[in-house]
Amino acid sequence: MLSISGPSLFIKQAMDYLRSIRKRELHIKVLLMICASVTFVGLLLIFIFVFRESLPAFTRLGLPNLFSTHWNPDVSHPEAGNYGMLPFVVGTLYTTLGGLLVGAPLGIGSAIFIDQIAPPKIGTAIGRGIELIASIPSVVIGWFGLTLLVPMIGRLTDTSGFGILAASLVLGVMVLPTIAALSLESLRALPSELKEAAYGMGATRWQTIYKVLLPAARRGVLVAVILGMGRAIGEAMAVQMVIGNSRQLTFSLTNGTSTLAARIVTDMGESSGVFRSALFAQGLILLILAMLLILTIRLVSREKKETVR
Amino acid sequence: MRIRFASRIALGMIAVLVAISISLAGCGNKQGETYSGTVKLSGSTTVLPLALEAANRFMERHSSVTVDVQGGGSSVGITQVKEGVVDIGNSSRELKKDENDGSLVDHKIALDVVVVVVHPDIPVDNLSKEQVKDIFTGKITNWKEVGGPDAAIVVVVRDKASGTREMFDEHALEKKESAKNAIECNSNGLVRETVSSTKNSIGYISLGYLNKSIKAVKYNGVEANLETAKSHTYTLTRYLHMFTKGEPSGAVKGFIDYVLSSEFQNEVVAKEYIPMQSI
Repeated sequence: MLSISGPSLFIKQAMDYLRSIRKRELHIKVLLMICASVTFVGLLLIFIFVFRESLPAFTRLGLPNLFSTHWNPDVSHPEAGNYGMLPFVVGTLYTTLGGLLVGAPLGIGSAIFIDQIAPPKIGTAIGRGIELIASIPSVVIGWFGLTLLVPMIGRLTDTSGFGILAASLVLGVMVLPTIAALSLESLRALPSELKEAAYGMGATRWQTIYKVLLPAARRGVLVAVILGMGRAIGEAMAVQMVIGNSRQLTFSLTNGTSTLAARIVTDMGESSGVFRSALFAQGLILLILAMLLILTIRLVSREKKETVR
Repeated sequence: MRIRFASRIALGMIAVLVAISISLAGCGNKQGETYSGTVKLSGSTTVLPLALEAANRFMERHSSVTVDVQGGGSSVGITQVKEGVVDIGNSSRELKKDENDGSLVDHKIALDVVVVVVHPDIPVDNLSKEQVKDIFTGKITNWKEVGGPDAAIVVVVRDKASGTREMFDEHALEKKESAKNAIECNSNGLVRETVSSTKNSIGYISLGYLNKSIKAVKYNGVEANLETAKSHTYTLTRYLHMFTKGEPSGAVKGFIDYVLSSEFQNEVVAKEYIPMQSI
């Protein structure tokens, strides 16, 4: 197609061709950039909006009111109420930790089982099952918890059954598929030479898994746990159904309390004025809390990695 | 090629969604009497959810009417309707003596009757006003103190924003704070579900939600039913009101008529209160 009438024309045509490619690539670049920035701007807007809505609570109620342990909103005179959110901050951290304690070992364990131990057919079947759990709506899991789990815990512990234990178990079920699927991905991404080398050195299967494969997949497993935590810390519906939504600060597993997200769901419907703003302030704290937790885990894991090396 | 195919599918899906939403939007126009103008309401936060729902439904039917609903509390509503700032003043209480100058017309839109209920296994049949107050504020924590078994009481209450809670706190608890460890549920149905499935529990629900799965307790020796509520021998009860200055006309009348219509009463009011038809 290139003309032979002269080197200058050839160069010009080549340049045109390159330019057209570059143009096309530019379109794609811009498109991808828009996608990425929509995510980022969206996050930013959410942050700004939540911050703006919660501002009246900070200015008109003050920090001592918001960060006390006394929650007693006043519907007809919102400014006269007490909006201490500490019991719910504690509840949030407690249930998230509980959910991870239940969900992470199960999730990572089943990932190892599927990848390393189970015969392929059984492994696939279990994998599909876990994917199915991921698609169960949280309200269904919560309902299951309310009708089955709560009365059972109530019978066993001779309490109402509502509380942190029930919420942790429900959250454990909810974070299990996330953690299992992502851990499985990172295990599968490991080069097979690792395993072969370990076996070659005379390691048993358990030693191979525990000493070689898991440490090698640590980053991926960590991301899995972080994403699981993200799901647990913000889960509102299922938790709200089984935690009791009491306003007390508690450290007992079988006492009713509430989490930030559950509190928002319980009260957002008909709240107004500063009451509403106080709920947004809880949302803001929840956002910050989630970010801090993720940051902490990242930092802790980085340190560990260096000491191993 | 694959990208194009995917985008074509996406385009097709968007087109289908648009078509569905357009055809659904077309279904909203129902014919009836036509009103126009603005209806302004303010007042009780208890009536607010009912008023908002009524406003949305009413504006759907009469597209040239704007219904503007605000909260503020019963006193604000009554003051503003007297001053003519709003057309309808919502109130969750009767007029006080100094408010009642004869200019306001009372439209009762719902009867709120709250019943104290316990888990069916609890042998207690009657609780005095004092006992109810002490149980729900956390002063009495064991059933044996009120003639029941030796077991810790599980208190179930409504969420703070609910009108039922507001009424109960005001009438039964005399505005005292309810117990800190009380379980909070944000609907009548959920309270019923929780009380029926939790041993040693006590809660309160709207009379319309009473069924066999829970046990109603007499309050100060009086059983809760429509008769005792209407005669005021049962005291955990109140009417919700919409006040107008003089007899309403035009769109305001249309709006109140709609609130009192059997459709709105049965579909919306009955979720939380006793509809006016059954009184």
